[in-house]
Amino acid sequence: MINSILLIAKKEIVIALRQNLIRILAVVIMVLLGVALYAGYVAYDQQKYSINNAEEREREEWLGQGDKHPHIAAHYGTFVFKPKTILSLFDFGLDTFTGTSIYLEAHYQHESMFRPAQDHSSMIRFGELSAALVLQILIPLLLIFLAFPAFTSEKENGTLRLLISQGVSYTTIIWGKIVAYISMVFVILAPFFMITIIGYAVLENSSTIPDTILRILLLLAIYILYLFIFVSLSVWVSMKSSTSRNALLTLLTAWILFTIIIPKTTANLGESLYPLPSMKIYREAIQKDITDGLDGKSHMRLRGKQLKEEYLQRYDVDSIHKIPLNFEGIRMQAGEDYGNMVYDVHWKRLKELFNKQNHISSLSSFITPYLAVRNLSMGLAATDLYTSIHFQKKTEKYRRELIRKMNMDMAHNSRYGEFYEYTANKKLWETVEKFTYQTMTASEILSLYSIEIISLCFWAGLVLFLLNYSSRKMKPVL
Amino acid sequence: MLEAIDLTKKYGDFTALKSLNLTIKEGEIFCLLGANGAGKSTTINLFLNFIEATKGSATINNLDVAKYAKETKELLSYIPENLMLYKNLSGLENLSFFCGLGGKTQHKDELENLLEESGLQVDFIQKRVSSYSKGMRQKVGIALARARGAKVLLLDEPTSGLDPKASNEFSELLLDMKEKGVATLMTTHDLFRAKDTGTHIGIMKEGVLLEKFETQQVSFQDLEKMYLKHMHN
Repeated sequence: MINSILLIAKKEIVIALRQNLIRILAVVIMVLLGVALYAGYVAYDQQKYSINNAEEREREEWLGQGDKHPHIAAHYGTFVFKPKTILSLFDFGLDTFTGTSIYLEAHYQHESMFRPAQDHSSMIRFGELSAALVLQILIPLLLIFLAFPAFTSEKENGTLRLLISQGVSYTTIIWGKIVAYISMVFVILAPFFMITIIGYAVLENSSTIPDTILRILLLLAIYILYLFIFVSLSVWVSMKSSTSRNALLTLLTAWILFTIIIPKTTANLGESLYPLPSMKIYREAIQKDITDGLDGKSHMRLRGKQLKEEYLQRYDVDSIHKIPLNFEGIRMQAGEDYGNMVYDVHWKRLKELFNKQNHISSLSSFITPYLAVRNLSMGLAATDLYTSIHFQKKTEKYRRELIRKMNMDMAHNSRYGEFYEYTANKKLWETVEKFTYQTMTASEILSLYSIEIISLCFWAGLVLFLLNYSSRKMKPVL
Repeated sequence: MLEAIDLTKKYGDFTALKSLNLTIKEGEIFCLLGANGAGKSTTINLFLNFIEATKGSATINNLDVAKYAKETKELLSYIPENLMLYKNLSGLENLSFFCGLGGKTQHKDELENLLEESGLQVDFIQKRVSSYSKGMRQKVGIALARARGAKVLLLDEPTSGLDPKASNEFSELLLDMKEKGVATLMTTHDLFRAKDTGTHIGIMKEGVLLEKFETQQVSFQDLEKMYLKHMHN
């Protein structure tokens, strides 16, 4: 049987390579893939260079900002950067929408932290040509053009009877064709995989090598499974169609539904069911809660008064001047803590909305395998929403620690009413460690995409069932 | 070699083939004559196991084709009225492919010789089948039967539409295969070809084998009279 499968596969490849349409499509896709990878590399290289430079400059500026009051330093702030991973040159994901830098300063969660309220609704819109996009959308189109006549042409040309009369089973014919189409796509993709692997070996940070290897292998497995689903589906449709024209029309309709209409519809559905607040409303709500208190009854003046009383009681003094700390620093930190708490409440609500929208997208992968592979691909390339949120969480933690250090220094080392008279120096700035960001591990990412993994397995199982069932039911064309 | 025992095929109330009893031994060419719808192609399709018999059995080398589909297909070669090959492959590539499927991988030179012996012009061997005439494709079919070492040939109106020269060449090839002990079941409308090539002739009408006899027993004129008599009744 294996010998027959290989023979059929070889025959299919020879016939396909003798067709101009297939040759032209293959060349176009190779060029697009090459251009996409090159564009990805250029963007990766430029951004990595810019980020490295900016990171060093930012650190130097932070350390070299001179002597000043810690609160002024807290407002002076600093930029932190999300490092580009090598796989982001393959799949740009949401990086274009989320950006890779965040400005950190006192009192304010940087705009990027709020940007989701404004921009995340459009995060699922894609337009840039990336290698991932070519693999997710264009290669399936090539596969459709390869596989749509798999059975119909055999029926139309009368070769199916001859094939069956040789004692070949439908199962053998099906697998011969699947092996052929997958092999052809693999030959087209092989040089690009090689380039990516070499690029990774040259460009990637050695500390992340094991995780990156795992990510590459997982991406490879996911894309092979995805393309297998498309090939099998195309062969099945060809089996069930009466003419090649019908098979092509059915498959092109399925392609448009899978890659354009369903993803757009589900994204719109998610937005309609779980609308995100506008940035203005989101900011105003946070500001209102900071001013009036989360319960609406604890105005910031009241909270300030309570804090003052608490400290007077704690140190058993009658004047704020008599406590051994600069109460202004304590008050600022308390204000910061309250602001953080309010922000966390609102951010949690916003994140729940994102998660609900994402859940719809994840569940929709049972309607189209494209969504499963798109989400998994972004996740493994560390350019997805979860990584973006993870990065924002880490930067926010870093910001809070930075501001806390500034406020506490002010509280412990200056006196109440003293502001411009007190200055901190480089020693304090050095206590704020350089921001480093490590993306989630591949296994952590995968755990967030269990629905997509299950859906890909479901699709693979479904096409295998359909092929198996139909091959048993198929009768020779008489 | 080939045997039909009470072989019957019904499609609902319609009986396409009724209780066919037939034996074709090694080196025999049995020609089934009959008008369209007589049940000739149904008989071929039953031996190919393309359709299931309603009653009775079709055997090749004493093996029931329904139970031993793979084994019986290894013994036979099938040439339909219009043998369709892969147009984008050459005759040689087609031959090599179909031989390989039957597990009879042969060297390129041997296959070229077979094609040549089967009457295909040498300069067409490497050309794509899209440039072949029907007769040339039928010759590839014969080469395939030879390459596979087929013991049984099932031919469904193989000379239909061929010019007299090509038809004659095809008959020569069949006679050559007959000499090698191949048992052949051929359906045809061509009385002359049946008389000229066949060892046995059967006349079918409405799914029933009305008569069967050795070719030598009748002259061409008698055969024609007999055939027309059955067709008019």
